[in-house]
Amino acid sequence: MSHLDHDRLVFLALGESEADTTESTHLGACAHCRTEMDTLQHVAGLGAGTQGLHDLPDPPEHVWQDIVAEIRAAETLPALPGPRAERSDERPSGDRPGDGAGGVLLAPSRRRGRWSRWAATAATAAAAAVVGVVGTLVVLDGTGPTPEPAPPRVVLASAPLKAYGATPPDANGEARVFDNGRLHLHLANLPDVPGYYEVWLINPRNMQMFSVGVLGDATDELLPLPPNVDLEAYSVVDVSAEAYDNNTAHSGKSLLRGTLTG
Amino acid sequence: MAVGVTVGHAPWKASRPVTAARQEPYPPEDDLAARFRAGDEQALREAYDRYGRVVLHLATSTLANRSDAEDVTQTTFVAAWLGRDTFDPEKGSLVGWLLGIGRRKVIDRLRASARETRVVETVRQLPETARTGPDPDTVVDRLVVADELARLPDDQRRMLELAFFDDLTHQQIATVTGVPLGTVKSHIRRGMASLKRRWEVDGVTSGPRPAGLPGAR
Repeated sequence: MSHLDHDRLVFLALGESEADTTESTHLGACAHCRTEMDTLQHVAGLGAGTQGLHDLPDPPEHVWQDIVAEIRAAETLPALPGPRAERSDERPSGDRPGDGAGGVLLAPSRRRGRWSRWAATAATAAAAAVVGVVGTLVVLDGTGPTPEPAPPRVVLASAPLKAYGATPPDANGEARVFDNGRLHLHLANLPDVPGYYEVWLINPRNMQMFSVGVLGDATDELLPLPPNVDLEAYSVVDVSAEAYDNNTAHSGKSLLRGTLTG
Repeated sequence: MAVGVTVGHAPWKASRPVTAARQEPYPPEDDLAARFRAGDEQALREAYDRYGRVVLHLATSTLANRSDAEDVTQTTFVAAWLGRDTFDPEKGSLVGWLLGIGRRKVIDRLRASARETRVVETVRQLPETARTGPDPDTVVDRLVVADELARLPDDQRRMLELAFFDDLTHQQIATVTGVPLGTVKSHIRRGMASLKRRWEVDGVTSGPRPAGLPGAR
C-alpha cells in the first residue's frame, strides 16, 4: 500500500480540500498517513493560535533586577555570614529577592578577597565552580549594599546529587553541609511530581533514614540538620518524590542521590 | 547580529512586498545559546531581552495572579542560568528550553494553589476551583510554533499567516498576493514542514519527552 502524497496531506490538513473516497479509505486504514495528517492539523491549529504572539509586551524592569539579585544570592550562598547565624534562617523563606535577604547576604564589592580566602580553605570542585561565577556577577550588577565582610562559612561535607533510578538524567543537584549545621541544596531539572519533594539522610549500611525537610520549588534550599547528626553514618543525601498520602515514610521513589564526603 | 526578537516580530502587513529578500533567514540563536551555556552574562541579558516576554506570556496566560506570573518569569531565568550546564543545544532551542523550565514553574505554581484550594475544601467542602487559564502545554506549543513562524523566510511566513489568520484558501492567497498558485502551494508546504519539525523538537505535547502531570491541568 503506497502512502498518500505528502503535499496532498498538507493540503488536506489545512482544509484546502476534502479527501476523496480513495483518500478517505486510505486514511482510515493507514496509521502512518493518519498520524501525519493529525500532526499537520495540530500544527496548523497551533499556527492559527499564534496571532498576537508576535507583539508581546516585555516584562517590567523589576523582573530583571530580581533575576540578577536572586542569581547573585544563589551563587554566593556558601559565603553566608558566620557570626550572625540567624541570618541563614532567612534563606529558606527568603529565596525571593526584595525581602532583604540578598542585600544582607551579599557583599559584591568585597567578594573577591573574601572568596579567595574561602576557596583556599574549601578547595572543592564546588567551590571552584562558584568562584568561577564571581566575576560574572560583578559585571551583572556592581551596585548593591556592602555590609561588613563576614568570615566564610565552612563546608564540612558536600555531595553531587545525581539522577537516581528512572529519574530523567538531566536532573541533578548538589548538597553541602555548612558548619552551622545547615544543609544547602542546589537543584536543577527535578522532574514534575504529583506531590512534593522531600530530603532525607540515609545510612547506607542499614538503610535507616530520617527526613531533613520538604523542598519548595526554589532551586536553592537551606534546611537545618539535627544537632550532632552523624554524617559519617548518614552519608547519603536523597531527594524523593512524595505523595499527599498522610504517610510520613519514604515513598521509595528516590529522584536524586549523592554521598557526602568531607 | 541577531535580527531582534524572533517572537517579537512585526505582524504581517499587506503592503510589504512578498518577494522582498530576507536578510537572515535564521537569526543566529546558536551563538547566543552557546554563550549562554558558557556562562557569558551578556548572553543571559540577551536571552532575557529576546525571550523574557515569551516566558512572561506563558505565565500570565496560565496563572491568574499577575505577580505570580512575574515571579515565575524571574525564577525561570534564574533556574536557567544556574542550570545552564544542563542545556543541550542538540536537543532543542534555547527558547524551547526556557519555555520547558517556565512550564514546570507554572505547573508547580498551579499545583501549589490547587493544594491551598484542597486545604480550604476539606474545611468548607467547596467544589474544586476551576483552572483559570489555558493549558500550559498548549501555550508553550503555540509559542514554539510562533517562534518558528517568525524565523521562516518571509514568503513562507506571509503565506502561512494568510492561511492561518485570515483563513484564506491557497487560490485566494494567490489572488491577494499576486504570487502564482504553484508558488503559494510550495511556500505553504515548506513552511508547514518547518513548523512541524520545530514543534516535534521543542513542543511539549509532541514527542517522547516526559509529559506533564494530569493533576496540574
